[in-house]
Amino acid sequence: MAEIKLSNISKHFAATIAVEEASFTISDGEFFILVGPSGCGKSTLLNMIVGLEQPTTGEISVDGQVVNELDPKDRNMAMVFQSYALYPHMSVRENMAFPLRLAKLSQQEIDKRVTRAAVVLELEDLLNRKPRALSGGQRQRVAMGRAIVREPKAFLLDEPLSNLDAKLRVQMRTEIARLQRRLGTTTVYVTHDQTEAMTLGDRIAVLYKGRLLQIGTPRELYECPANLFVAGFIGSPTMNFLPARCKDSNLELPLGSMRLSETMSQQVELSEGPVIAAFRPEHLRIVGEKNSPCDGVQFEAQVELVEWLGADLFIYFYATTEGFEAMELPENLDITTRDKDRQLLVARIDPATGIGEGGTVNLCMDVRRLLFFDSSTGERFRQDKSNVISIRHQ
Amino acid sequence: MTTTKDHGLSERLFWGLGSVLVVVYALIPVFWIISLSLKRSADLGDGRFISATVSLEHYQAVFSDPQFPAALWNSIGIAGISTLAAVMLGMFAAYAIVRLEFPGRRLILATALAIAMFPPISIIGPLFNMWRVLGLYDTWFGLILTYMTFTLPLAIWILSAFFRSIPWDLEKAARIDGATPLQAFIKVIVPLAAPGVFTAAILVFMFAWNDFVFAISLTSTNDARTVPAAIAFFTGSSRFEQPTGSIAAASVVVTLPIIIVVLLFQRRIVAGLTTGAVKE
Repeated sequence: MAEIKLSNISKHFAATIAVEEASFTISDGEFFILVGPSGCGKSTLLNMIVGLEQPTTGEISVDGQVVNELDPKDRNMAMVFQSYALYPHMSVRENMAFPLRLAKLSQQEIDKRVTRAAVVLELEDLLNRKPRALSGGQRQRVAMGRAIVREPKAFLLDEPLSNLDAKLRVQMRTEIARLQRRLGTTTVYVTHDQTEAMTLGDRIAVLYKGRLLQIGTPRELYECPANLFVAGFIGSPTMNFLPARCKDSNLELPLGSMRLSETMSQQVELSEGPVIAAFRPEHLRIVGEKNSPCDGVQFEAQVELVEWLGADLFIYFYATTEGFEAMELPENLDITTRDKDRQLLVARIDPATGIGEGGTVNLCMDVRRLLFFDSSTGERFRQDKSNVISIRHQ
Repeated sequence: MTTTKDHGLSERLFWGLGSVLVVVYALIPVFWIISLSLKRSADLGDGRFISATVSLEHYQAVFSDPQFPAALWNSIGIAGISTLAAVMLGMFAAYAIVRLEFPGRRLILATALAIAMFPPISIIGPLFNMWRVLGLYDTWFGLILTYMTFTLPLAIWILSAFFRSIPWDLEKAARIDGATPLQAFIKVIVPLAAPGVFTAAILVFMFAWNDFVFAISLTSTNDARTVPAAIAFFTGSSRFEQPTGSIAAASVVVTLPIIIVVLLFQRRIVAGLTTGAVKE
């Protein structure tokens, strides 16, 4: 049980900056996620919390006590590695007992705790096996077992599921969430998978190139991303981005134009770079005879590609961006902006519509959900109740 | 179907015959020495591969000569101590080179290799003079020190390769689990490096055990003369007789420990000891 506080933590390696000025507090019992693409500094941050690496500047404190100088063995934190890091020359039982033996607990207490953890993780039948005789999922559970027997102040998990196959990953994800809720131990979880982050975390911190971009609940990150990177990183499929042009209080998008609210247009006018508009795939819907008429921007789209997932149907189509400035989106987002005159967009629609590739549909965009970003800084323009006052049809 | 089967058969035949050839080629001299050592003095020149009569007279002769048991003791002591010292020191040095960031670690490895490649004969002269001045001539320590200059680099190279293959995560895990750096090293790293330690120990032991050049140059009496050097001082029972039989018997006696050591340690070199530690 612990509250972990990081103040102005930076980590420099020779020439590179791995983490820059990170400050946040992980409250007691919280499931906290560090997420970002590889090389963003999330593992370095975790290593600093556990004591494997020293921060270059800044302070880490646990329950109000500064632990910068404390050796990892004295921090009483447990870590689960991506590679599991089980001791290959020890049986499952010895692996789980290892931290307890080092802590010089009585044999009786060690047996009690190992047995209890084995029951929780369903490892009773495997206690005498060596790690090499275990499957990936079993190894993962042993690693978890070694962490929980210590009853540590905090769990630190470094991409614990990325070596498992897809199905097992989902299953273990649920197990970890259940275990954490049951034990109520402060948990810091590092992942590059935004789905894991969204499903597991009480709060998520998004890191990019060593900088902390935004901290918030999964919902906050999804609905109010602070900048272009968070907007593009969180959510699957990714958010749609379109270049926008602003004249007076009029915002022109490749799909249509609209009149901005006063606060929004003031901000847009103050910014230097071009504006980027973004919206989620579910904020598009098909306009048909049965549906209610479109109160947003309506446009016609030719379907390029269809992804049918059973409960969802994703349709991909191009929007012509001729005459608009090319967008500059952050790297590592896997969004192609290579095509000069068109941009690939995606819509999530009801699979019952039965639209095929090459077909044409009328789509309606919910403009109240549109987000606007300053492409020079990547920051989102702050928003009042609504960004948009009225729609001007093409 | 048939073609692949034929292919498999001819391939097996090729490898089988090849292996037999290599083994025979390597073992003929060994058999020849064993055979010689078991012949009577009178039969030494009979040219028979398998001796007609078996006699242990050469073994008796070798052990009744006081210089041989002394040399055997010297060999065991000197080779044993240099092996132990080289492997222990090599373990710490290799670990430091692999795990710690410090300037010049590549240089240390390269220098170590360069020293191991030095032709021993080229340093005999200076060593002889230095050891005489320092009082190390004809002592165990003098030979141990000399052997270690050659075996330590070897040990460092072998062990650093092994340490490098051990996932670093294991050590980090041990540290977080509450181990001091020394505990992590002893309880986690050393058991996993055991195959490497044994490999290094065997090679280092063989170098010291088989060395002739240093042993003959840096010793003069039974105080430190090892078996390979002592064999050179064997004489026949009369001045008209070659000591062939005694040399053969002595050679068999000194080869046996090596074979035993290798067979013993070979079991410890379990391949894939680290499998299962981390996901490959």
